[in-house]
Amino acid sequence: METYDAVIVGSGAGGGMAAYVLTKAGAKVLMLEAGRDYSPDEAPMLSFARDAPLRGVGTPDKNFGYYDATVDGGWQVPGEPYTVSEGSEFIWWRSRMLGGRTNHWARNSFRMGPYDFKPYSRDGLGVDWPISYDDIAPWYDRTEKLVGVYGANLGMENHPDSGPGALQPAPKMRVWELFMKAGGEEIGIPVVPARRAILTKKIDERDPCYWASPCGRGCGIGAAFQTTTSLIPWARATGKLSVETGAMVYEVMLDASGKASGVRYIDKASGAHREAKGRVVILAASTGETARILLNSQPNGRSEGLANSSGQVGRNLMDTVGSNVSAYVPALEGRPIYNESGAHGLHAYIPFWLYQEQAAGKLNFPRGYHVEIGGGFREPGMGGYDGLDGYGGDLRKQVKQRYGASLGFTQRGEMIPNDKSYCEIDGDAKDKYGIPVLKFSFGWSDHELNQVTQFQSAMRELIDQLGGEVTSSEKPASELISTGGEIIHEVGTARMGTAASNSVTDKFNRTWDVDNLYLVDGSVFCSKAHKNPTLTILALSMRASEHIADRMRMGEL
Amino acid sequence: MKHTLINTLPLSPSVSRRTTLKWFAAVMAAAPLAACGESETGLSWATPRPLEGPGYGTDPDMLDPSYPWPLTLSPEELATTAALVDLILPADGDASAASAVGVPDFINEWVSAPYPGQQADRGLILPGLAWLDSECLARGGQRFAHAAPEAKAAILEDIAWRDRVKPGLEKPAEFFRKVRSLTLGAYFTSAEGWDYLGYLGNTPSTGDYAGPTPEALAHLKGVLDTMGLKMPEGPL
Repeated sequence: METYDAVIVGSGAGGGMAAYVLTKAGAKVLMLEAGRDYSPDEAPMLSFARDAPLRGVGTPDKNFGYYDATVDGGWQVPGEPYTVSEGSEFIWWRSRMLGGRTNHWARNSFRMGPYDFKPYSRDGLGVDWPISYDDIAPWYDRTEKLVGVYGANLGMENHPDSGPGALQPAPKMRVWELFMKAGGEEIGIPVVPARRAILTKKIDERDPCYWASPCGRGCGIGAAFQTTTSLIPWARATGKLSVETGAMVYEVMLDASGKASGVRYIDKASGAHREAKGRVVILAASTGETARILLNSQPNGRSEGLANSSGQVGRNLMDTVGSNVSAYVPALEGRPIYNESGAHGLHAYIPFWLYQEQAAGKLNFPRGYHVEIGGGFREPGMGGYDGLDGYGGDLRKQVKQRYGASLGFTQRGEMIPNDKSYCEIDGDAKDKYGIPVLKFSFGWSDHELNQVTQFQSAMRELIDQLGGEVTSSEKPASELISTGGEIIHEVGTARMGTAASNSVTDKFNRTWDVDNLYLVDGSVFCSKAHKNPTLTILALSMRASEHIADRMRMGEL
Repeated sequence: MKHTLINTLPLSPSVSRRTTLKWFAAVMAAAPLAACGESETGLSWATPRPLEGPGYGTDPDMLDPSYPWPLTLSPEELATTAALVDLILPADGDASAASAVGVPDFINEWVSAPYPGQQADRGLILPGLAWLDSECLARGGQRFAHAAPEAKAAILEDIAWRDRVKPGLEKPAEFFRKVRSLTLGAYFTSAEGWDYLGYLGNTPSTGDYAGPTPEALAHLKGVLDTMGLKMPEGPL
């Protein structure tokens, strides 16, 4: 059997970056992906919703709509169940395709800041990371330059500027964003250029955004970052990368000395159990799947699983806090039409602006949130007609009058780890391959609920400032907050730390218990800052992979 | 070319009311009934059992979309649907009636899809269509599709307005809201609907994003002026 320098499990952000860095460093790499091969050439970028079944709306087969890039995935994967403990709610988004969830993400790419890496030091909750912002800043710069991120340096508290030349220019704000900015400025709510992993200038073979096609469909021109148009093809071009798809990894193998020797997986096409061997094993299977593989790996019958002497594998599960407010704004009625698609997502957003108030004890929740804003002359869809009444010719005119006059405010907030929220192996249930499945437990605390309440009230103040009417309902925070897992930012199930007693990996993503086993996905997060996790996963994976390459050069691995 | 689907359907307007009532009774007897409710209001409202069958799956061909489920509305139901959606969105100047842009066929696709959401809508729409006919006949007219415009309007006046639903007709009003929403969605996702709204998106262009036109910015400035707000400056 061929032995690789590195076996990487997963082809999303963490796995794609590891494959790129290691093959560039000359290592021979095998990447295993549980789903099928995929190329964004399949992306229906300019297809019309009217040509899709049911006008493209989400269904149990394609939860985010017919044209969403996700293949063989969603909240449920056929034949691959998960369970949820009684009294908990949690949903788990998976995709089974090369590139994983990078094929359809929103590309929002906000850096974590100095407070975000040392949250315990700031408020006594959760834990600090074993690294500081200054440790990671150069890796953010390199990641942004490599993947291509648009944005602006604004010098805002805990929202770090990028290094020189790291960012591409952000696209112009649209009328509804300028309108929101004008209103926000009156009451101290900032509306500023957003940061997204989308090219506005050509680099290498990737074209800049052509201001069409929802990014979630996948981006065949390479403008919106996904590993299938960048890191994976670049790694393949070195001649050093082998990719095996349809490979469902379930176990890490150890040799007699206790080092990882490779992984066992099921070849989905044949059902055969196979092994892949490598000098280093890198798990990037996603926060849930990485924990599952570790917990299902039970060398010498150790029921606690692998790399789990701390007992932290599966613990500290976090997701982003989400809630929404929507509004109808008569002042935006009947405005001149132009093409407002732009980059199809955020050009502008509201960063957390209340750190000083928080430090002064004026808020009843720790940490922060940002607001992803929506509006504009969007592609007409199957929803959004509930505000209308009656029937007849006037109805058509009303839709036109209201077109482009709705605004949406989406909270993306930080969750503090708590002991209600974790995953473990279900003692009974197995998937169709016979692999024991994950069982999730999840609960919010008052920290998150108070944050939702404050967000709702702040947005209502902004809407009032804009002369709008709130169209979402006013309910208790417990009914407005997202379901655990719903924001698809789950992290934390194998966190890094300062010692083997309190964490699963060291600050280079290396498991304390197994010297040549690395975790490079969201599982290593110590906290779930309100910033979307993918950029940080990429930067940490780049840093960890260079660390691996250095150790290989030095003969340590 | 503008035509309504109803003209192509076989059901003749000259069919007698008695014949229609007999046909109607036969259909109702044959329909698989999961529940019969609202009897206290005298409303006949039979919810069909949800359809089952394969959807398009988790990995459909996105570049050549198709769906596998058979269409299930009868010609009579399609005729009733066409008449209803054309009251919701009638032809108006250059704008086509809803049936002329395929809305009844879309509603057929929708209620025939074997997914829970669509089947919940089927459970509202099928009895709703039947109710329109029975109500129209009970008021001394034709089946809904062939009724006089005033007769159809009289029924809609009882169910179409949020704050004016005739007591006892809450269920038909819910049915109407659902069909209205589907009709608007189907119309405004059509090519004509895009044109009507002026939607310009999903059209690639090269170079930097053009952003708002001078006209759009001038309009915004005017709006902000009247609200006493300042036009933003700085990095935009």
